[in-house]
Amino acid sequence: MLLEAINVTKTFGALTVVNAVSVSLNKGDILGLIGPNGAGKSTFFNCLTGDLLPTSGQVILNGEDVSVMTPEERAVRGLARSFQVPQTFETMSVLENVMIGAFLRTSDTAKARRRAYEILDLVGLVDVSSAVAGSLGTPGRKRLEIARALATDPDILLLDEAMAGLTATEVRHAIELVRKIHQTGMTLVIVEHIMEVIISLAQQVIVFHQGHQIAHGTPQEVTRDPAVVSAYLGKRAAANAARGFAGDPA
Amino acid sequence: MKRSVWLLLILALVVAYPLLFATPFLQRLGALVLLYAIAASAWNIVGGYAGQVSVGHVVFFGCGAYASMAFYTHFGWPPIAAVPVGMMASIGIAALIGVPTLRLSGHYFSMATIAVAELARLIVTNIEALGAAVGLSGPVMPRTVFDLSFTSALPYYYLFLAVLLVVLGLTYWMENSRIGFYLRAIKDNERAARSLGVQAGRYKLYAYMISAGLTSVAGALYATMYGFIDPDSGLGILTSVKILIMAALGGAGLLFGPLVGAAILVPLEEISNNVLGGKGAGLTFVVYGAIIMIIARFYPSGLLRLVLDRLAAANSASSDKKVRDAA
Repeated sequence: MLLEAINVTKTFGALTVVNAVSVSLNKGDILGLIGPNGAGKSTFFNCLTGDLLPTSGQVILNGEDVSVMTPEERAVRGLARSFQVPQTFETMSVLENVMIGAFLRTSDTAKARRRAYEILDLVGLVDVSSAVAGSLGTPGRKRLEIARALATDPDILLLDEAMAGLTATEVRHAIELVRKIHQTGMTLVIVEHIMEVIISLAQQVIVFHQGHQIAHGTPQEVTRDPAVVSAYLGKRAAANAARGFAGDPA
Repeated sequence: MKRSVWLLLILALVVAYPLLFATPFLQRLGALVLLYAIAASAWNIVGGYAGQVSVGHVVFFGCGAYASMAFYTHFGWPPIAAVPVGMMASIGIAALIGVPTLRLSGHYFSMATIAVAELARLIVTNIEALGAAVGLSGPVMPRTVFDLSFTSALPYYYLFLAVLLVVLGLTYWMENSRIGFYLRAIKDNERAARSLGVQAGRYKLYAYMISAGLTSVAGALYATMYGFIDPDSGLGILTSVKILIMAALGGAGLLFGPLVGAAILVPLEEISNNVLGGKGAGLTFVVYGAIIMIIARFYPSGLLRLVLDRLAAANSASSDKKVRDAA
């Protein structure tokens, strides 16, 4: 078991945002987290990364309880993430952004630079390596965040809406990138609004609704689950079917 | 290659300056520029690279200055011999201030550093062993050459230049190693840096401690040159502000930014003091205030950055032209 969440609960005052969610991932798995805005998926995601500490429950990473560890402690132990709104180092070059990630595993600047170039090659950003990160558009910055996370040589990569704000073509490229990363044996957790992304990538899906986990299974099982259809996908799926596509572009 | 040629040329000019302009006023001016460049370059490590704006750096400056004068007064040490004492004390104080305050973001850290500096000034003003409000003096007549008490500013000039080169060398090494990359990452986006395993709190503290230790050296050199220190000159907020403005004006986070800032501000201040005499003292505050506003409004990344960007733009424009001409 690479990553395990046991009854993770997060409350803000009287409001329970995540209610006793459990999941376990083996090496090479892809887990999708879906649900409407405010359903609690991002909060759960941030409990996994250490940006938020769970009110109760446990997060186990590689057999070690990391529930109360900081994001940097979890990064050392093999967890890497991207952000919903890209958080690149704006004044640094694309190469330097990735080097920050690579420095987690080496203190040698030349080695970090070499590793960063390898990763940039993998994600297709070599051509812009000397550009300032702040000059990239949204797709480039999202890609850069993934590159930077990969440079920390993680066991598990958590992507927070890596496709949000991308055009259909850009989404296809991003899906290809995620597939490519998965083929290297990477374990992934993906928060996503766009259903077709989840269905085409994830092996297991958790559906959130008002803080509760209302379904958990393969994408096929989940989309057929009556609770999911009525609580979330029902209205949307119907509306989307009428508009001629599956998924919410927002 | 071209860059190193330029640097060597500038270094040669800096070395030759006191011989080319061999008047006592200009030599002393040159020495002061280098002295403040040391302090501002030291500030630059935490304020420029790590983006943690300390407005209380005079505490460390004062630590170095007071250590050298106090160890002379009480134990008869040559003032410069107490440099390690001042450094150790500064690093210790930086750790004490840094551990609780570096968690605070943005302005809160700055305010905490001001508070500590003012507190230190008040405490020292009431300690007899540190000369209280009157201050401490160094040796009136040099006992040996180690007292570093000279009438000419020339020896100070070269001493300060040597120390500045060490500080800049250290900064350059830092800039190109992991700690330098991490500090810039923390400055740009602390949350993202932490997600990549950067122990932000620890690295900010390292930067603060290194910066504090080096600033105390500047303080010790100041006291050695003037042979005197009192709460105002050694612990006054104006010195903190001066150090900060020099770095910001020249270019915070750039290796040579603080030196450029010092080379502009120190002559400005010396000349205005000479022209206005004693009446000018209050005016200095007004000038600093105006400079802060102008930098913040028009050149937030400093004059050196402005020049470098212009040069880069001119270079790329001329290379574009070459490409067009060739085509």
